[in-house]
Amino acid sequence: MRFGRTSKAVGVAAVAALALSACAESGGGEDPGTGGGGEASGGTVTVAEVNPFSSFNSDTAVGNVDINNKVALLTTNDFNYINSDLEVVPREEFGTYEVVSEDPLTVTYTVNEGVTWSDGEPVDADDLLLSWASTSAYFDDESDPDPEVEGDETGTTYFSAASTAGLDLTEMPELGEDGRSITLVYSEPYADWEIAFGVTDTPAHVVATNAGLADGDALIEAIQNAPEGDPENPQERPEISAIADFWNTGFDSTSLPSDPALYLSNGPYVVSEMVPDQSMTLVRNEDYNWGPIPAIDEITIRYIGDANAQVQALQNGEVDIIQPQASADTLTSLEAIDGVEILQGPELSFDHLDLYQEGGVFADENVRKAFMKTVPLEQIVDATIRPLDPESGPRMSQIFDFGTEPYLAAVEENGSSEYAEVDIEGAKELLDGATPEVRIMYNAENPNRVDAYTLIAESAEQAGFRVVDVGLPGAEWGPALEEGGARWDATIFGWISPGVGVTGVPQLYGCGSASNYVQWCDEEAQEAMDELILTTDPAEQQELQTLVDTRLYETGFGLPLFQSVGINGVSDRIEGTEYMSNQDGIWWNYWEWTVAE
Amino acid sequence: MLTYIVRRLIVAVLILLGASFLVYVLTAVSGDPLADLRESNAPNRDQLIAFRTDLLNLDVPPVLRYFAWLGGAAGCLVPFAATCDLGNAINGAEVTQLLERAMGQTILLVTAATILAILIGITLGIITALRQYSGLDYGVTFMAFLFFSLPIFWVAVLLKEYGAISFNDFLREPDISLFALIVCGLLTAFLFYLVSVGNLKKRLLTAAVGFAFAVALLWTLDALGWFLTPGFGPVVIAIIGVGLAYGVTLLSAGLKNRKALYSSLIVVGIGMVAYFAVQPLLDRATGLMIFLLAVATVLVGVAVGHFMGGYDRRQNMTAAGLTAFLMGFFILLDRFMQAWPAYFDNSRIRGRPIATIGSSTPNLQGDFWILGLDTFTHLLLPTIALMLISLAGYSRYSRASMLEIMNQDYIRTARAKGLGERTVVMRHAFRNALIPLATLVAFDIGGLIGGAIITEQVFAFSGMGQLFVGALRVVDLNPVMGVFLITGILALVFNLVADLVYSVLDPRVRVKA
Repeated sequence: MRFGRTSKAVGVAAVAALALSACAESGGGEDPGTGGGGEASGGTVTVAEVNPFSSFNSDTAVGNVDINNKVALLTTNDFNYINSDLEVVPREEFGTYEVVSEDPLTVTYTVNEGVTWSDGEPVDADDLLLSWASTSAYFDDESDPDPEVEGDETGTTYFSAASTAGLDLTEMPELGEDGRSITLVYSEPYADWEIAFGVTDTPAHVVATNAGLADGDALIEAIQNAPEGDPENPQERPEISAIADFWNTGFDSTSLPSDPALYLSNGPYVVSEMVPDQSMTLVRNEDYNWGPIPAIDEITIRYIGDANAQVQALQNGEVDIIQPQASADTLTSLEAIDGVEILQGPELSFDHLDLYQEGGVFADENVRKAFMKTVPLEQIVDATIRPLDPESGPRMSQIFDFGTEPYLAAVEENGSSEYAEVDIEGAKELLDGATPEVRIMYNAENPNRVDAYTLIAESAEQAGFRVVDVGLPGAEWGPALEEGGARWDATIFGWISPGVGVTGVPQLYGCGSASNYVQWCDEEAQEAMDELILTTDPAEQQELQTLVDTRLYETGFGLPLFQSVGINGVSDRIEGTEYMSNQDGIWWNYWEWTVAE
Repeated sequence: MLTYIVRRLIVAVLILLGASFLVYVLTAVSGDPLADLRESNAPNRDQLIAFRTDLLNLDVPPVLRYFAWLGGAAGCLVPFAATCDLGNAINGAEVTQLLERAMGQTILLVTAATILAILIGITLGIITALRQYSGLDYGVTFMAFLFFSLPIFWVAVLLKEYGAISFNDFLREPDISLFALIVCGLLTAFLFYLVSVGNLKKRLLTAAVGFAFAVALLWTLDALGWFLTPGFGPVVIAIIGVGLAYGVTLLSAGLKNRKALYSSLIVVGIGMVAYFAVQPLLDRATGLMIFLLAVATVLVGVAVGHFMGGYDRRQNMTAAGLTAFLMGFFILLDRFMQAWPAYFDNSRIRGRPIATIGSSTPNLQGDFWILGLDTFTHLLLPTIALMLISLAGYSRYSRASMLEIMNQDYIRTARAKGLGERTVVMRHAFRNALIPLATLVAFDIGGLIGGAIITEQVFAFSGMGQLFVGALRVVDLNPVMGVFLITGILALVFNLVADLVYSVLDPRVRVKA
C-alpha cells in the first residue's frame, strides 16, 4: 500500500514535470539581451504623435487624417513633395511629369522603370489609372433633386475620396505604350494641376484581387469599360462598385493586417508592427532606391495625447521627437529640459476677423474700415501666440502664409500696413460721430478667440463703437456662421490654409461661395479669381492672388489676425530635423534625419 | 431569492434604458459633430459633411437616432450571433472593437492597483484599529487623508518626474550621497518609532535600530552595486524564508503550534532545494508554467502540513501552504532580478528602465522575464498613483468596521473564555470585520472597467476613460454610448452582486423575495 502510494506520487511528479516542460518556451534559455533591430548602423528614432493611426488608405474621406498622411509619407513616394518653404518639388527619381499642351491642359505622368511595391509588383499603369479613378469622381452619378424630400436620391457615389479637386475636370485618361505612364486632359485649365494628381497609397493589384478581379489588367479593363457617371441617367457599374467598396474601407485597420498585401510600400519604409492605440513601427523597405535613402533604420511612432506626457516622455528618453499641442506651459517645461532642441514656427491655421458686408452696420465701407483701424493686432498677438514664439507676428495678408516669400512681397503692396497700428483717431474721423452697434460672434470656448474678442471690443469702444458680445458655446457657433447679418455683424474664427495651390482662394472669397460667410463680393477680385483658377503660371498666379489680397484690404473685408504656432521638441540624439508649417509637420524631411550617438 | 433577482434585473434593464436615453440625447445636444468640417476650407467640404452625416445618420433627430442605436445594441443580447452593432466612431472604426481594446488596457492598468489597495488598505485599517489612538494610528490616518486629497494628475506628474526621470538618471551612476543616506535612515527610524510599542526609552531604541539598519542596508547595496545587478541569492532567500515561516505561523496558527511551525520550516527547506532545482526550468518560463508551478508549490506546502499530522491539521496546512506560496514568490522575484541587467542594457531601453507612458516598450524582444520586467516598469508608476489614492477608502472602512467589531459582546466573551489575543483577532474579529467591505470591493470591481480618466491620460493608456473623454470632446455619440453601456451594466450587476454576497456572508441579512 505504502509502496503504491509512493509510486503514485512519483507518477504524478513525472506527469507534472512533463507538463511543465511542455509549456516551457522553446529555444532554450540563451540570453536574448540586446534583441531587436538596434544593431544596424542607422539607428532608431521614436516619434510621439497625438492621434492613433487608423487607415493605410489616406485618400478616403474618413482615412484622410494627419497621422495616416504622415505614415503614408513614409511608405509611399510620389511625383513631387512639398518642402518647408511650401514649394512643390518634383521627385524625378520616382517619376516625371510634363505639360504636353496648355490648351487643353494636358499632363503626362511617367513612373520610372524599376519603381515597385514592396511585394515586387511594379508601380505602373494599373496604379496610375486606379489613382485617377478613385480621386476623380468620374463614375459618380448620385443626385438628390430636393434635399428636403426623403427617398428621391438616385445613383451612387463610388469612391469616397477625400478630395476630387481638379481631377473632376478630366476625361478618361490615356495610358502610355510603355505601360507606366498616363496622360490627363483637363476640360479647362486648372491652376493647381501640379498637386491634383499623384499615385495613391493603394496598390492596384491588391485592390483588384480583393474586388474579385483577376489582376491589375482586369482592373484597367473594368475602369476603361465603365461608362462615365451622369446624374441624369444613373447606371449600375458592378465592377466599379466592388473596386470602390474595397478601396473605401478595405485598408482601414488599427492593427497589423494578417494579409501583408494590405500594407505594401513603395517608399523608403514599410510597416513592420502595430500595437493598436499604442505604437507602430516602420523598418526600411529593402528594395527602395527611387528617392533619397534615409539614414534611420527604424522609426517607431508612439501615440501620446497629453502634451505634458509627451514632454516627460521626451525627457525620459522614451521618445526622441514630440509634437505636442502648443501652449505656454508646454514651452516652459520643454525649455527646462537639457539636451532638447525646440523648433517653433507658424502653423497654417489662422484666426481672422470678418465683417458682414450685405446689410447691417457694416454695409457702409467707412464703418468697416473704421472698425478695422481699431483692431489692436500687436496686442492680440502679444496675448495669444507671441509667448509661444517670440518671432511671430500678426498675419498681414489674407491669402499668403506668414513668412513665405510671396507673403513678404504682398505685405508691401496689399494695403495691410494701414491697419498695422491701432488708429483710434482715424477711426473716429471715418465714423464722423456715429456710434454704430456691432455684434461680434465667436467661439466662446476657445481662449484665443475670447482674448481676441476682448481686445478688439475694448479698442473699438474707444472709437465710439458699441460692441455687443454674441459669443456662442462650442456647439453653437459653427452653425451660426451661416446666419451672418441676422445674428452677427462681425465674427472671429479660423481657417486652415492649404499652404500650396490657389483654388482655395475663390472658395473663401468668391461671390456666393459657401465658405464666404460674410457675403463679400467684389467684381475686380472676382474677375481676378476667375482668371486665377485657370492660370497655371506661378508668377501670374502670385500676381492675381496679390490683387485679390489688395482688394480684400481696400474694400474692408476684415482682417486676418494671426497664424497659430506649432512647437516640436527634438532630442539632441537626432540631427537634421527642420520645422514645417503644414500638416506633414516634422516628418517632411525624414530622409535627412540622422542619429548622433 | 430567485424572484428577488429577477425583479432586480428587470428594474436594472429599465434603469439602463432610461439612463441610456438621457445620456444619448444629452450628449447629442451638447455639441456639433461637424464642427471641424464647418471650419474647413477644403474644396469638397460639403461632400465631406455629407459623408459624415451619412455615416452617423446625423440627419435624423437625436431622439429617433437613439432608437436606431438601441436596435443595433439589442443585437448584442443574442449570444454568438455576431449581430452586435454599437455603431461607428467618427473615424469609421467599429465601437465594439474600440471597446474591446480599451477594456483590455483599462483592466491592465487598474487591476494591480486595486488588488494592492485592497490588501494594503485593509491591513492598515486592521492594524490601526488594534492600536487605536497610537502614533501609528494618527500617522496612517494622516497619510491616508493626505493621499486621498491629492489631485491625481499632480501625483502622477510628480511620480514621473522623480520616480521615472530622476530615478533613471540616478541609475546611470548609482551613488547614494551621505545626505540621502541619512534622510532615508531618519525616515526609517521614524517609521520604526511609530510601529514600536513600550515606553519612550524602548521606542527610541527601536528607532535607533531602524536608523542603523536602513543606513547599513543602503550602504551595502550601494557598495555592492546592487541597483544595477539586483538579486537575493540563496542566503538571503533562506533568511527571508525562515522569517516568512515564523511570520505566517504566528498569524495563522500561533507559534505555540509547533507542528505548524515545523511544517512551515520544512517547506522553506524544500523551497531552498527547489530554488536550485528549478533555475534551469525557469530559464524557459512561460506564463502557464509559472501558474502551474505556483499551484504545485501550494500543493506541496499543503501536503507537508497534512503529513505533519497533529491535533489540528488544517492549521498546519494553511501555514505551510501560505509559506510555500510566499517562498515561491520570492524565488520568482529573485529570477526577475537576475534578468534585470539584460533588460537594463537592452538597446530598446538604453539604460532608462522606468517608463512614463504606455504599457510596453515597442518592439522589445526577449523571454518571459524581460517582457515581465517591461510590464512591471511600465505599470509601476500608474499603479502607485492609483493605489495611493484609493488606499484611504479601504483603510478607513476597515478600521471603522474593525473597531466596531472589537467592541462587540462576543469578543469580550471570547476573551473571557481564555482565548489568546491572536485567535480573538484573527478568528473572531477579522473575518466579521470584512463583511461590510464586501460591498465596497464589489462596487470597486464594477467600477474598474469605467476607467481612470486622468491616470490614463497622463500615462498615455488608451483605456475606457480616454475613449469616453475623447469621444465626448468631438461629440462622437457611439463610443460614448458604448462606454456608458458597459459601465452602466457593470454598475447595476455588481450592485446586485454586492447585495447577494452580503446576505450570504452575514446570516442576519436575508433577501426578501
